[in-house]
Amino acid sequence: MVDIDELKKQFLNAEFDSKNFVLDAENLLVVAKTSGETRAQFIDAEHADFQATPAFLCSLASGRHLPIDFPALGGIPMDGGKAVECFAPIRAGQPITGKSHLHDIYDKQGRSGRMIFIVVRMEIVDAQETLLAVSDSRLVIREKPTA
Amino acid sequence: MSIENILDVEFGTELPVFEPDTTLANVGAFARAVGWGGPRFESHEGARKEGFPGALVPGIMGMGFLVSAIHRWAPTGTVEHIDGVFRAPMIADTPAIISAVVTDIDEDEGLVELDMTVKNTKDETRVFGTARLRLPKA
Repeated sequence: MVDIDELKKQFLNAEFDSKNFVLDAENLLVVAKTSGETRAQFIDAEHADFQATPAFLCSLASGRHLPIDFPALGGIPMDGGKAVECFAPIRAGQPITGKSHLHDIYDKQGRSGRMIFIVVRMEIVDAQETLLAVSDSRLVIREKPTA
Repeated sequence: MSIENILDVEFGTELPVFEPDTTLANVGAFARAVGWGGPRFESHEGARKEGFPGALVPGIMGMGFLVSAIHRWAPTGTVEHIDGVFRAPMIADTPAIISAVVTDIDEDEGLVELDMTVKNTKDETRVFGTARLRLPKA
């Protein structure tokens, strides 16, 4: 059985991934409109305050979710949920960087065994390193029982 | 009733129910726009081959539905934080019903807390979560 405290000591709060993005206006529009958005700053690319929806920001966190040396826990990580906190608008064409670290690791005992929850936090910053948004992805892994 | 400022909000108010477009075409367009195009989100048959009951609605699209429901109710508000728990898959071409209730109000800060759910027509919860909305002070 994996020692959660040991995993925390080894992996929490260390940046393991950094990606650069430039958001495409057409993609922002499609995501907003297909989500049922009605506000002009999300569905009108000509609006002075045109910006990405919170849901779009969550999509940036796809790809590599765990540090390359993170131990295999036996199961395939499932997407248990996402959260996003917005501090400033993120615009189409604006260069941004997503920096990822493990924010929390905890477990819950279920009827079918232990589930391990890993919160991967992506901090989205602009070229001046101003924090624009924080996106959390909760990965859920059903631990493989020891033989 | 459309909400314009924090004094318009009452504790326990239920937002108008919102039924978003979950058609396969709409879901596929969302998935492609976020770079997730492929059978899982664009084809019932392709998703079944991957072991799913049908083409999935991405969980983050469910979050998009939640934010849209808030904006329809409070057009002047800004969603500062949203947290969604993906409890069970949403399937394309099946209805999703978005509901929300006001659980806290901070009139001094202009903040509203909401509990939100996405359910199917069997009243089964697919996504639930919370949101924090900032509204203009009166």
